[in-house]
Amino acid sequence: MIPVYICGIVAVYAVIRVVTEKKTLRKLVYLNVMNFAITGLIVLAIPDIMALFAGIAYFVGSTLEANAIASTFAGGVANE
Amino acid sequence: MPGVVVNIIIAVLVCWILFIAIDIIFKLPEKGGVSGAAAIGTAIAEERGSLNGGYMMGNIVCSPDASAGTLLAACGVFVAGIPGGLVAALLVYIGNRICHDPGYAGTTGALCATFVITGFGLIGVTPDAFIAGMVIAILTIQGMSHPYASHLLTKLWGMRA
Repeated sequence: MIPVYICGIVAVYAVIRVVTEKKTLRKLVYLNVMNFAITGLIVLAIPDIMALFAGIAYFVGSTLEANAIASTFAGGVANE
Repeated sequence: MPGVVVNIIIAVLVCWILFIAIDIIFKLPEKGGVSGAAAIGTAIAEERGSLNGGYMMGNIVCSPDASAGTLLAACGVFVAGIPGGLVAALLVYIGNRICHDPGYAGTTGALCATFVITGFGLIGVTPDAFIAGMVIAILTIQGMSHPYASHLLTKLWGMRA
C-alpha cells in the first residue's frame, strides 16, 4: 500500500503548490508533478491492461494540454 | 514493511539517474523544443533560476520525455510485464509525435526503463516501487525548488556540453 499513499500524498502536495503559485507558466510545472502522481494512482489502484491504457491516455492528453496552454502563453501559432 | 521502503529508495535512485541521464544525452537542456517549453524555461530563469535547466524542465512539461517514459514503462511492467512496457513505449512514441517533439527521449526512456525495471524485478525490487520511485524522482526536480533544480540541471548539462 505504501506506493499508493506516496502517489496520493504527492498529488495533494502538487495541487497545493499549483493553487499557491502565482505565475501561470510555473503552475504548469507543478501540474506536471500532479499528472505523474495521478497516472501512478490510476494504474496502482486498478492493475488491469485497460487501466494501463487509461493511465497512459490521461498522461499523454494532459501533457498535450500543458503544451497547448504554454504555447498559447508564449504567443501561439504565430510564434512557432 | 522495511523491505518495501528500501525497494522504493533504490527505485528513486535508479529512476532519477536513468531519466536525467537520458534527457541530458538527448540534449533537452539545450533549447526549448517547442515555444511553450522555451517560455517555461524563461519564466523559471526569471525567478533566480538557470536558463538551460529551465529549458529542460519546460521540455519535461510540454512533451513526454524520458521521465514520462520511465513512469509509463513502470506502469506497463507492473500490469503486464515486458509486453506492457513495450506497449507503453509505443504509446509514448505516439504522444511524442502528437506534441511535435523532434527527439526520441521518451521512447528511448520507456524502452530502457522496461528492461531496467524487469532486471531489478529479478532481484526483488517490484515495479510498483518503481512507480512510486518515479513520482518521488519527478517531485525532486519539478515540484520542490525551481531555482535549485534548474541550477543543478544546468551543472549536469555543463558536464555533457
